[in-house]
Amino acid sequence: MMSKGGFKRKSKAASEIPSSSLADMAFLLLIFFMVSTTFRKEQDRDVAFPDAEATKKMDDARKDVLHVFVERDGQVFINDQNVPMERVNAVVGPIYAGNPKLLVVLRADTEVPYQYIDAVQKELQEANAVRVTFYTNLEQRITRERR
Amino acid sequence: MSLMRKKQRVSGEIPTSSMADIAFLLLIFFLVTTVFDEERGLPIVLPEAESEQEVSQKNILHLLIQPDGTIRVKRGESPQEQVVTASAISSIWRQEFAQNENLIAAVKTHPNAPYRAMIDVLDQLQTAQADKISLQLLPEG
Repeated sequence: MMSKGGFKRKSKAASEIPSSSLADMAFLLLIFFMVSTTFRKEQDRDVAFPDAEATKKMDDARKDVLHVFVERDGQVFINDQNVPMERVNAVVGPIYAGNPKLLVVLRADTEVPYQYIDAVQKELQEANAVRVTFYTNLEQRITRERR
Repeated sequence: MSLMRKKQRVSGEIPTSSMADIAFLLLIFFLVTTVFDEERGLPIVLPEAESEQEVSQKNILHLLIQPDGTIRVKRGESPQEQVVTASAISSIWRQEFAQNENLIAAVKTHPNAPYRAMIDVLDQLQTAQADKISLQLLPEG
């Protein structure tokens, strides 16, 4: 009789979820996500990207990715700064030296004359940053056939 | 008088019971509004500087992109050029590659051709699983 009463009391205590600590848990999660979120360093530029069917997703870590923007008039922007074409090598070189896993994502406008893209490629080769991705939007097969 | 005192005592306390709801609402709001911007595109590995290789002409499929975006195909040694549409390139590559496994696609783009034209060709080559691609500038003239 005594033992039965003891059991009953124990199970009653365990069946309740301690709601007083719920707020702490939620705030901890909130603070964790706020701290671990990294925002993009650079602003988006006014660049229209080309479409491609073979677009692949790259799962490189954000810290290994360098964006190189090429605007319609051939101006190059790296980390929100306008870099003259002949200085691209000097800017990318130290970044690559600090991170050999560097992936350069070339975000170029659809209408930019190809000579600028070629010049950027040559500069990247000189900086040894040979892993390059031409940023494209995924094109569905249907839209291509309609065109 | 007694009514006033009662009111003040109620508002002096922060309701901790709804704190969890507020925190979870914030958490869910941030979870939903966060957009991860993924990297996507056409990957290619550029050759290292000064590592040019001599390739026999018969192993090269020339894709010449003109300033107006038209594409000409030149097979190996034959001087004959053929104008094709961008969408035909993947099937051309598959045909040629079936005959010659050492085939290299040389994409030669005119300096004034739009970037889009080169991407269209590269897209078709990558759709056809071409892995040996050379990107060059088409000599003017």
